[in-house]
Amino acid sequence: MGKLTISIPTGRMKEESLALLSRLPQCPPLDFVNSRRLVVEQEDLPWRIIFSHPKDSSTYVEFGAADIGIVGKDILLERENEVYELLELPIGKCTMVLAAPLSTSREELLEKEALRIATTYPNFTRRYLQERGITANIVFLYGSIELAPPIGLADAIVDLVSTGKTLRENRLQVVEEIAPISGRLVANPVSIKTHSKEIYLLVKELKGVI
Amino acid sequence: MELVLGMKDSYPREVKRKREMEFVLRNLFEKWGYEEVEPPTIEYYSTLENTLGDEAKERVYKFVDRNGKLVSLRPEFTTSIMRMYSKKEMRETAPHRVYYVGKIFRYPSSPLRVEDELTQLGLESLGKNGVDTDAEIIALALSALLALQELGIEDFMLDIGHVGIFQGVLSSFPLSPSEKLSLKSLLKKKDFVALEKFTSISSHPLFPFLLHLPFLRGKREILEETKKNYPLSPPLIDTLNYLGEIWDIISDFHLEKHAFINLGLIRDFDYYTGVVFEGFSPRLGYPLLAGGRYDELLEKSGSSLPACGFALFLERLMEVQKESIKKDRPPFISIAYPPVFRSSIFALAEKMREEGIPIIIEEQKGEDIQVLQGKELIYQGKDEEKIKTLIQERFKSWES
Repeated sequence: MGKLTISIPTGRMKEESLALLSRLPQCPPLDFVNSRRLVVEQEDLPWRIIFSHPKDSSTYVEFGAADIGIVGKDILLERENEVYELLELPIGKCTMVLAAPLSTSREELLEKEALRIATTYPNFTRRYLQERGITANIVFLYGSIELAPPIGLADAIVDLVSTGKTLRENRLQVVEEIAPISGRLVANPVSIKTHSKEIYLLVKELKGVI
Repeated sequence: MELVLGMKDSYPREVKRKREMEFVLRNLFEKWGYEEVEPPTIEYYSTLENTLGDEAKERVYKFVDRNGKLVSLRPEFTTSIMRMYSKKEMRETAPHRVYYVGKIFRYPSSPLRVEDELTQLGLESLGKNGVDTDAEIIALALSALLALQELGIEDFMLDIGHVGIFQGVLSSFPLSPSEKLSLKSLLKKKDFVALEKFTSISSHPLFPFLLHLPFLRGKREILEETKKNYPLSPPLIDTLNYLGEIWDIISDFHLEKHAFINLGLIRDFDYYTGVVFEGFSPRLGYPLLAGGRYDELLEKSGSSLPACGFALFLERLMEVQKESIKKDRPPFISIAYPPVFRSSIFALAEKMREEGIPIIIEEQKGEDIQVLQGKELIYQGKDEEKIKTLIQERFKSWES
C-alpha cells in the first residue's frame, strides 16, 4: 500500500506538530523546523511528509493528496472539508471570539442597526451569526483584522485569540467566546478505508503521547 | 456564447470512452436479466422531497412549470424508479430487475466545482428482499467493477456495511431525541473528536465500539473479532451475522477478492434501511459506485416496495482510468476524388465501411484521387484496387 502521506501546516503550528510527532515511539528525529523543503521522502521516516499552507492542510487531505493531516479546527469550521476528524491535538490552542472596541458595550454592539463584522472566516461567521440570530454584513479581509474597528471599516471582528495581547493593544475586548480551537488530526475518507490499520495505529500511539 | 457555469462540454475522445464503459456495463446487466428503463428528466419536487436529506434538497435544481407547480431536474434515479414501480399493477407483477443510464443534476457542493451534471448508470432490484437478493446486487456491483478492468479501472475496492450498525448503537444509548439528532449529525460530519466528548454516553459499554467504527474494516474475520471485542446487543449481533451471510454468498461466487466489510460505512442518503456499499479506488477521494437497500423509501407516500440497487458514477470512473486507455484514436482515412469517380469511390467507401473501417469522402477538383490519413497524404493516383488494399493494410496495422 505504500507509506501514509501526512500534511503538516507551515507557520506557527509546524514546530508544535513536529515536536508532537517526534514523541511517537521509534520516531526518528524530525529536524525540519527551519527547512524550506515542501516534500520530505526519507527511508527512515514512517510517512511521506508534505508541508502545506496552514489554511490548505485539510484541503490536501480532502482531495486525497495527503492521507492524513494536521490542521487547526478554525480551518475545518471555515472550510467544512469532507474529512474524518479523528483526534484533538494539544497544539495551536486558542479561542474563536467576537470582539469589539472597548468603547462599545455588548448591548450597544448588538443593538446596532447596520452591524459590520470583519473576519478572515466568512463562512464560519455567516453560520455563527445565523445561529445567534444576529443580522450583520460581513467584511472579508485577508489579515490584520484588529485594524478594522479602529479605522471604522467594521464595528466588530470574528477572529482567533490566544493571549489577548493583540486585542488589548488595539483597544478591543472579547464580546463572546464562540468556539475553543486547537489542532486536529484528520483523514481522507478513502484513505481511512485503504489504510485503516496504519491510521488506527497512529491515532492510538498519538493518544499515548498526548 | 458562454458555457453555463458548472456545466461541461464533452468532445469525441471523452464521449467515446464513456460509451465504451456504458457498453460493457449494459452488456453485463442485460446478461443478468436486467432490463433498461428510462424515467423522465424532471419530477415534481414533492416526489423527491420525502426521500432527500436536507443538504441534498438544497442542491436540487428547482423551477416552476406552467401550472405553477414546483418541478426538479432529477438529482438521482432511485426515487423516479420507485415512483414508476409503486403503481399497483407494477407491485402485483413484482419482482422487477431494471437498469438505467442518464444524466443527474445537482448544484455542486462548492461553486468551484464542475459537477452540476453527472452521468449515472445503475440498477435496481424491486419487490424482493432477503440476503440472497442483497448478495446478488453486491455481486453485480463487484462484477461491474471487474468488467471495467479491461477499460483500465484497476485496484478498486468495495466496502460493505449496514445501517443497522449505527441504528443498533444509537438505540442502545439512553438519549433524548434531540441528543440523538446531534449525535447523528456528528457521525455524518465524521467528527469523532466532538463525538468523544459526548459525555452523557461516554461511560456506556458500547461507546468504545462507536468510536472505533471507522477502523472496523477487513475481510470476514473482522466480524468475529468485533463480536469478541465489544459487548454487542442482540440486534447488533444479528446485523453482523447478516453481513457474514452476505459475505459467504459472495465468496461462494468467488467474488470476495476486492470486497471488504466496513462496519463504519456511512452513506449520505437518508433512505437506506439495510445493507449499504461503496466502491472506490485509492486514486480518488470520492466513491465510484454506491448503493444499498431502501425498503421504506415509499413509506412516507403510503405504499411500500422493498428495493436494493446501486449506481456507478461514470465521470469519476473515467478519472481513475489508466492513462494508456486515454490514448488518441488514429486519424480517420479520407478519400478526396474528382467528380468523375463519384460512383466508384462511393461504392468503394461503402465496401470499406461494411468491413468496419470508418471512411470520410469528399469531392475535389483535379484529376487524381487522393487518400489521406488525417493530414498525411498516403496515396495519389487513379488505381482504385490499390486504394482498397492500402486502406485495409492501414486499418489492420492500427487494429493491432
